[in-house]
Amino acid sequence: MKQHRNFLVWLGLLFLALLAIPTQTSQAADNTFKVGMEAGYPPFNWTQTDSSNGAVQIQGSSSYAGGYDVQMAKKVAQSLGKKLVVVKTSWDGLAPALTSGKIDAIIAGMSPTPERRRTIDFSDTYYKSQLVIIVRKNGKYADATKLSDFKGAKLTGQLNTYHYTALNQIKGVIKEPAMKDFPSMRVALESGTIDGYVSEKPEGISVTRANPNVKMLEFKGNNGFHTNPADTDLAIGLRKNDPNKAKINAALAKITPQERDQIMTKAVEQQPQSKSSGNWVIALLKQYGGMLASGTGITLLISMVGTIVGFIIGLLVGIVRTIPRSGSKARRGLLRVVDWLLSVYIEVFRGTPMIVQAAVVYYGAAQAFGWNMNRLAAALVIVSVNTGAYLAEIMRGGIIAVDAGQFEAAHALGMTHLQTMNKIILPQAIRNSLPAVTNEFVINIKDTSVLSVISVSELFFQGSTIAGQNFQFFHTYLIISAIYLILTFTITRILRAIEKHMAGPQNYNLMANQDQVSVPKNNPEV
Amino acid sequence: MENEKIITVAHLEKTFGDHQVLKDINLEVNRGEVLSIIGASGSGKSTLLRCINLLEQPTSGDIKFHDQSILTSDFDMTDYRAKVGMVFQSFNLFNNLNVLQNCVIGQTTVLKRDPEAAKKVALEQLDKVGMSPYVNAKPAQLSGGQKQRVGIARAVSMNPEVLLFDEPTSALDPEMVDDVLDSMRALAHTGLTMILVTHEMAFARDISDHVVFMDQGVIAEEGSAQEIFTNPQKERTQTFLKRYLQGGMR
Ligand SMILES: Nc1ncnc2c1ncn2[C@@H]1O[C@H](COP(=O)(O)OP(=O)(O)O)[C@@H](O)[C@H]1O
Ligand SMILES: [Mg+2]
Repeated sequence: MKQHRNFLVWLGLLFLALLAIPTQTSQAADNTFKVGMEAGYPPFNWTQTDSSNGAVQIQGSSSYAGGYDVQMAKKVAQSLGKKLVVVKTSWDGLAPALTSGKIDAIIAGMSPTPERRRTIDFSDTYYKSQLVIIVRKNGKYADATKLSDFKGAKLTGQLNTYHYTALNQIKGVIKEPAMKDFPSMRVALESGTIDGYVSEKPEGISVTRANPNVKMLEFKGNNGFHTNPADTDLAIGLRKNDPNKAKINAALAKITPQERDQIMTKAVEQQPQSKSSGNWVIALLKQYGGMLASGTGITLLISMVGTIVGFIIGLLVGIVRTIPRSGSKARRGLLRVVDWLLSVYIEVFRGTPMIVQAAVVYYGAAQAFGWNMNRLAAALVIVSVNTGAYLAEIMRGGIIAVDAGQFEAAHALGMTHLQTMNKIILPQAIRNSLPAVTNEFVINIKDTSVLSVISVSELFFQGSTIAGQNFQFFHTYLIISAIYLILTFTITRILRAIEKHMAGPQNYNLMANQDQVSVPKNNPEV
Repeated sequence: MENEKIITVAHLEKTFGDHQVLKDINLEVNRGEVLSIIGASGSGKSTLLRCINLLEQPTSGDIKFHDQSILTSDFDMTDYRAKVGMVFQSFNLFNNLNVLQNCVIGQTTVLKRDPEAAKKVALEQLDKVGMSPYVNAKPAQLSGGQKQRVGIARAVSMNPEVLLFDEPTSALDPEMVDDVLDSMRALAHTGLTMILVTHEMAFARDISDHVVFMDQGVIAEEGSAQEIFTNPQKERTQTFLKRYLQGGMR
């Protein structure tokens, strides 16, 4: 019991310590150039496991980012006299990360659209792109030469991009809902749920190189999309009034068009290819085992710490909410106010999706208070507080469910309310709530996947990254599923064993002789 | 040993909502005395016991422990409850603790006894009620009679000045009643002050120094065991006893 409690205290302290760690990047803001990118959009940017071909280590990770954007970022950082830091950020998280100061620039194949210009500023162009459509090689639209050939085709594009709005130029097209990222669209195309998706040439070259079953369609002159330079040009996203803008533009101007083409050609050649020799499971594990292991570790860490801290929060809230409403008027009034606040907490966190909580807490705290949280710490806070809200009601129910006679017997012995709770009621309430805690742990293992919105590199995030590189979507996600299943299965078994252990032995040993005062071997837990 | 009053109840009233359960109860308990409270179900016996150890707050009147009122706001309730033990009809053993721990926990948390010393006391008391072989058992693994004997050992381990029993054998199968009554009889012989609510009339007659008959919230008649059981004065007492005696005394 004592060891157990020390362990919990220790964990709590560790948790607080994590909270207190400010991001290293914000402290070292003066000599680093923090660049945000998805690291999952080859050939502009991708994730790889080593530093070959001039790749740069991703902040807070053992993986590296490579690609056209990384090479550009290096040149810009050099001209600013700063050290380049690559911050892996999901597409939708890029703009908030920039405005909240978590990154200094977006170099992620992003176009300077008027909508984006409303919130952020852009440098001059660093790459000029062209829209293409990716289709199946053996599909109905493989030989299309102009947009009107796509009448009746099911097409889509990435969410929040001009690729998707460009679909409006095709008469009679069936516009499928926009998708989150390129890996999803590639899966959709291969599985036949869509006939094609709008992309840009570099991505098209990459995907056709990696997957022989798809084809990139380019359109000549007026046969293709009418595009705005604001869209096809790729530029570096900057905060408004960034004093470095002129320097950055000067740096970009020094890179000639020929040099840009060279870098792009190299990037297309260098982007990670899947090694398809032998057994695919072994090949995949060999190539990406490290990423999968670290993703599994992070998922396990977040869900375990989140469940344990959430359990402590739930327990405390449950205890406070079951304090008897007696004593002076002031005391009762205070209890009522606290109770109301706690029920607001519970309702808010149970009533909103965790993905929204994550975005609000992580980006909101930075934007509103300039409070720059460590990504992992933010994830731990969110999962803990969320779990706490669920477990608070379970613990309260568990406390109420303990027979009133247990309270009375303890009070009759002279125990205080605190002693009664500690020694008698809570051990029973906790034991009764263990199955619910197990359940919450399993849910947390799966639900940490929504934390990809704040770019925590947990298992699902790593899986998407891998699938974005090797184009083996089904295989990768199959392995991810297997890992999730193994995790949840093992943890369920372990916690069930703990439950059994807490229930104590099925039988008791009779102490030798009825008349003999026998001293039991195991000390009482007091 | 002159009559030393341990508990004095004066003009005690208890009301639940607008239902008056106890009306003008007056009672004195002397050191070493066994007081039995008898009466029909619902007459207020449990409420009286629960008021005495403050599980219920009296509505008016006073209760004194030795010479001190227990109802003043600065009264040390914890200390008092440690000195006034209680044995419940439904046992209320702590389900999360084994037999030995049940008897140790009050000593260590309330009396701040050293765990080893507390264990020794607990084993002694468990032995007296014949439960020492079961120290490792959890309450759920015991029969009702065994549970109640542990309940007695738990209360006695606190070395109380007064022990309250609220129908300690009413929830038991008949064949287990005698074991519990034997334990209580042994306790009475040690000179412990006891207040006992029971329907075991023969037992009450044998061990009580004083008997109180309650009816509808008032003390209808009181006297020595002899007076109440062999020569009751009030008609209500006679009717009540007749009903129990018909069922046969154990
Ligand atoms: N907490 C309570 N709230 C309301 N009424 C109660 C409560 N406890 C006891 N009573 C009532 O008080 C009366 C006396 O109860 P009790 O003292 O348990 O009687 P006895 O123990 O003699 O059977 C009963 O009518 C019972 O319904
Ligand atoms: Mg009763």
